[in-house]
Amino acid sequence: MNTKTRTINIIKETRKVSAHVTEERKKYVKIRKTILETLKTEGKTIPQIAADTNLPVAETTYYLMTLQKFGEVTVEGIDDMDEYYIYKLKK
Amino acid sequence: MNTQYDVLVVGAGIAGEESALKLADMGFRVLLIEKEPSIGGKMILLSKVFPTLDCAACITTPKVSETARHPNITLLTLTEADSIIKENNGSFSVTLKKHPRYVIEKDCTGCQECETVCPSIVDDQFQFNLVARKAVYIPFNIANPRVALIDIENCMLCGSCEQKCPSNAIDFSQKEEIIQVKVNAVIVATGFNLFDPTLIPRYGFGKYKNVITSMQMERELAPTRPFNNILRPSDGKTPDKIAYIFCTGSRDQTCGNAICSQVCCMYSTKQAQLLMGALPMADITMYYINIRAFGKGFNEFYMQAKDMGAKYVKGKVASVSEKENGNLILRYEDIATGKVTESEHDLVVLSVGLLANPAITSVFKDETLEIDASKYIKQPELLQSPALTSIKGVFVAGTATAPMDIPDTIMSAGAAAAETSGYLKQLS
Repeated sequence: MNTKTRTINIIKETRKVSAHVTEERKKYVKIRKTILETLKTEGKTIPQIAADTNLPVAETTYYLMTLQKFGEVTVEGIDDMDEYYIYKLKK
Repeated sequence: MNTQYDVLVVGAGIAGEESALKLADMGFRVLLIEKEPSIGGKMILLSKVFPTLDCAACITTPKVSETARHPNITLLTLTEADSIIKENNGSFSVTLKKHPRYVIEKDCTGCQECETVCPSIVDDQFQFNLVARKAVYIPFNIANPRVALIDIENCMLCGSCEQKCPSNAIDFSQKEEIIQVKVNAVIVATGFNLFDPTLIPRYGFGKYKNVITSMQMERELAPTRPFNNILRPSDGKTPDKIAYIFCTGSRDQTCGNAICSQVCCMYSTKQAQLLMGALPMADITMYYINIRAFGKGFNEFYMQAKDMGAKYVKGKVASVSEKENGNLILRYEDIATGKVTESEHDLVVLSVGLLANPAITSVFKDETLEIDASKYIKQPELLQSPALTSIKGVFVAGTATAPMDIPDTIMSAGAAAAETSGYLKQLS
């Protein structure tokens, strides 16, 4: 049996989630899924991930670095030109 | 909570901490308030300090810990002064506003389990928006108190964090608290604001992804960096031709800040040295008006950067434009040749200036806390007693008075503590 007090219900009586927050959440879920999906097969650089997923490159950088911060992605190595890091799923 | 203190210190950056510690060590009871969720101010977010290249976190965290644990210091985070009224007997009646954390501070262990289940993300302001954070979060690894908080504006109100928290620390029933205290003296240590470079649109900040601020570069260089290495935000490329534009928002009447920010020449020079260490193949070019290397060891530090290979070009940058590949074209007048020249870089860092933070003045209700022409707290007796302000019993410390570097801030805070101590002794 869950014995925790649900204080969330108290704040729900006075606050509503803004449409912006809901939209951002949806966007993050979609992009996260897309990036993690494309990395399932092999490690890739940010431009490669952007090309595979049709995401803007800057947006890919932001979300990939966020996924790295959250511990879902890690660095595999660097490309032959020492320009772009290759990222893979963290096992 | 106690309602009587000897001193209220407003702001828990390095100046506020130093003043609070000095007074607490003398036996005074200090109430230290900070509007952010962690103490440490801006210094705790820096990579290294100039000119010694010591680790900023290694210097500041012992002081932060000492402040948080001192028996004579009561620390309130997420707290702002709402009003300060001087009474007839010389003491001050203070009304504080403590914003809810939605986490019970004493119960949170800092385990970050709540973050793993939070579905909501938002720009991480402590990484200067280079990555995201969760709506429930610990501000940064060395935050003090290392306690989570909930950004209620960006919360999905799903309650997952509350279910996950192993110590039952989440409390959505918390509300804003109004706290009344009486103090005998006040130290204003509210620090500075950073210049917003979107006010100079010709530099392209906010429009071109590879134009970043010096604080963003500071985070990229720090051990707790947002990326895995120093990368440009547009595409994650390792930059190899980096430009610094000095005096962005300083010494420039057109953007409302005519004075020198004192630290930009040296922090940019520091970053150049760190970049040359981290990216040995990178070219670093510094576009400057004048180099102000006035402090102890500063000129030697500047010469060291030049010897390491940093290129200093005397000339004000007129504009920045972007190429298709994300590289940036800087148009500037090279003072040495007198020619208008263009050069290409793959990352541009704006050495943003320091601005006054005069918001505290509106808190004083019956007397005026005067400010100077640059909107810093006025020091009526600058040469004899620089910690005095226009209100008897109110003192000022650190960059609330003017732009200054870390050693000068510490000295200023020590002077404010000494001045306050003398005042309190006279009162008693």
